[in-house]
Amino acid sequence: MSVLVIAEQRGGTLNRATWETIAAAQQTGEALHIAVVGHGVDAVAAEVAAARCERVLVVDDAALAEYTADGFVLALSALIEQEQPGLVFLPHTYQTRDFAPALAARLKRALVTDVTAIRKDGDRFVYVRPMFQGKLSADVAAGGPPPHLVTCQIGAYRADSAARGDAPAAIGKAAIAVDAARIRQRPEAPFKEARQAVDLSQAARIVAVGRGIKAQENLKIAEQLAQAFGAEVAASRPICDAGWLPMDRQIGSSGQTVAPKLYVALGISGAIQHLVGMKGSRTIVAINKDADAPIFEVADYGIVGDLFEVVPAIVAELNRA
Amino acid sequence: MERETLDVDVLIVGGGPAGMSAALRLAQLQKAKGGEPLSIAVLEKAREVGAHMLSGAVLDPRALRDLVPDFEQRGAPLGAAVEHDHVYFLTRSSQAPFPLTPPPLRNHGNFIISLNRFVKWLGGLVEAEGVDVFTGFPAAEILYDGDRVAGVRTGDRGIGRHGEVKPTFEAGVDIRARVTILADGVRGNLTKALVRRLSLDEGRLAQLYALGIKELWELPKDRVPAGTVIHTMGYPLRMEEFGGGFIYGLPDGLVSVGFVSGLDYRDPMFDPHVTFQHFKRHPLVAGLLRDGQMVRYGAKALPEGGWHTVPRLHGAGALITGDAGGFVNSMRLKGIHLAMRTGMLAAESAFEAIRANDVSAAALESYQRRVDGSDVRTELYPVRNVHQSFEYGLVPGLMFSGLSLVSGGWWLRDPMPSHAGFERMRKIADYYRDGRPDPDSTVNPARIDRQLTFDRLTNVHYAGTRHAEDQPSHLIVYDTDICRTRCREEYGNPCTRFCPANVYEMVDAGDGTRKLQINASNCVHCKTCDIMDPYQIIDWVPPEGGGGPQYEGM
Repeated sequence: MSVLVIAEQRGGTLNRATWETIAAAQQTGEALHIAVVGHGVDAVAAEVAAARCERVLVVDDAALAEYTADGFVLALSALIEQEQPGLVFLPHTYQTRDFAPALAARLKRALVTDVTAIRKDGDRFVYVRPMFQGKLSADVAAGGPPPHLVTCQIGAYRADSAARGDAPAAIGKAAIAVDAARIRQRPEAPFKEARQAVDLSQAARIVAVGRGIKAQENLKIAEQLAQAFGAEVAASRPICDAGWLPMDRQIGSSGQTVAPKLYVALGISGAIQHLVGMKGSRTIVAINKDADAPIFEVADYGIVGDLFEVVPAIVAELNRA
Repeated sequence: MERETLDVDVLIVGGGPAGMSAALRLAQLQKAKGGEPLSIAVLEKAREVGAHMLSGAVLDPRALRDLVPDFEQRGAPLGAAVEHDHVYFLTRSSQAPFPLTPPPLRNHGNFIISLNRFVKWLGGLVEAEGVDVFTGFPAAEILYDGDRVAGVRTGDRGIGRHGEVKPTFEAGVDIRARVTILADGVRGNLTKALVRRLSLDEGRLAQLYALGIKELWELPKDRVPAGTVIHTMGYPLRMEEFGGGFIYGLPDGLVSVGFVSGLDYRDPMFDPHVTFQHFKRHPLVAGLLRDGQMVRYGAKALPEGGWHTVPRLHGAGALITGDAGGFVNSMRLKGIHLAMRTGMLAAESAFEAIRANDVSAAALESYQRRVDGSDVRTELYPVRNVHQSFEYGLVPGLMFSGLSLVSGGWWLRDPMPSHAGFERMRKIADYYRDGRPDPDSTVNPARIDRQLTFDRLTNVHYAGTRHAEDQPSHLIVYDTDICRTRCREEYGNPCTRFCPANVYEMVDAGDGTRKLQINASNCVHCKTCDIMDPYQIIDWVPPEGGGGPQYEGM
């Protein structure tokens, strides 16, 4: 049996979540193949070839230059029928959510989404996925013939735990052509908002502010810390609601879900709506006046104190180093 | 502006038990009587059928038996047949069982259900009959042709927070119908507008409402066996407050736990959400919930005023059904069967009127006669004064309820005089003569441990509620100056307490005062603010289609 990971790229830039999916697929212990789909994606293929895997397959077609659900379903259904993998793994991104259900329906195969853990039960795999807004974790086993399609939750696996090979894997081109006439969608230029939006899920370090920041002019304290760390600035909902930061910097159930290496929460109490958007972060540092704030339940390092004293001290120390 | 239009014979607004029963009955009449096929459409604001459905719920199956006689073979998700009824009177630390279960609370022959699952199932039957169910489309306003209701306009999509048109803009659709059946639920936005425009509530008593807050719990199996019904009165409410708790055992260790608080309380500092937390901390309830997990949360208002508060149910081209019409039996704590029955009766009148090619108010009055001649009246009329009697307190209310069982509801003054709930709320200065409480804190807080008890914001997360963030607030407060000045002084901003979803907050305005912040995307569409605001300046309008809670399994 083999596992096929579908890498995600946009405009020739690899989505970091692909590495998380590679890490998840490596845990199955099966032979790993990685597919890169698009047009002019050789650099992306070379990047993922560093992973410990059998080979990298490139599906390159001018009709795939811009993402369309039809184009990806056509290309991937042909690739999967040709390669006959035992499992197909995808990152649970917006793009995957757009086409994966159609792909599974086209192939008439089971699709298990938003998976956070995988374990072997006899000769089958059991997938863990959240239910009821993350309150419960369900064990799911897929039925029907292989390959089963599995999407991995962002942040459930660590990108840097993906094993690298001793030498880059071989890169091959898949002999698959996409009939552009069968693509019904016509992508137009991205909306202005979408083009400007920061994709916080790609940030390695994030400094997030909450109500404890008190006033818009105090945001510069957070910006100084972010600059010292090389981090992006984000916020919990009240800050974006007040218009102090744009909505695309909101973390949580009504904003983005992130899993950076470092997440610094300044004056964030840790409402569950915020926690679900960042609890997968590798190291969480919380600074809050209230020792009972729920943010400390998920924090690796907690400082109970006034952020207006603590943060400048950290910034001064970082800048001295 | 160019708008798409759609013409149908019957438009049903709201895909709940009333709306779906109306749709199914219409399809059945069409099949049985033949003739030119009718086009029927159901509009539902939720993204999928059943997602906004919330009830206790104990179902009296009598309307279901008439609508779908072979409901068992067709796999109706009826949860568990009621096996045990318990009624307790609670004091702070103990409980006294009622020696006899009062007759209205005897539930033998009824079923404990998830209304979400039940309506999903009913919706499946409706769609199988070829009826169009449009989910994710709220009805924003009624289209009139003079005073005749000519259909509805659905809500626009793609409007930004400040009213600006976004690239994703789609104008709402005008759906024109010969008959529009309003099944838009308790305090439905269209019914509210129609009742006002046509003065349908003239000579009727003011509707009385209650707010039900419910959680779904997973408990060790057999802690609350499937089929168990527990009702409570008393603590944590005081003698002057109306309401009570419920615990219903579903199969597989799932248990519904909830509390209903009358929205006619006097204490401006009363907080239904905190009251629910006190209820769960009572030894009887805490003992049952120990080691369990709360998996869902939701809230909904109920029309509890009864027969004398039901408005005139018809206008030219329009019929009102279900909760929108106030069809709840507050003594039996049930309304689903009445919603279904009124939906079915409305379907019969709509069908007859269209076949006779006369949809005037006079023709549609047949619906009123059908309701008057049905089991809806025989059930509601004898208890017509019951909720009103609780205006005088718990003890007089209970005594009158008991008396009604033998007297048929007779009273010296019939209808018994009554006031709208929001008018009964006292001002802080009148209610708290010995010292003014801080409007930003709770008078009688409950300990929050995030196991048994939860803060509002955490609870809202488990309602699964979602709205597009970049849209105008769908909670329109006509004068927010009142909030920071008069209301703060007179009532201490009660919206921050009666809203069960943390929509209303008074936040620091930066100048030492507080201002209102509306967290509209937390809204669970319960309508309490529209009902209970003492100045009646809050208007609930539907948000962009598909927004709202996700009441899976509720």
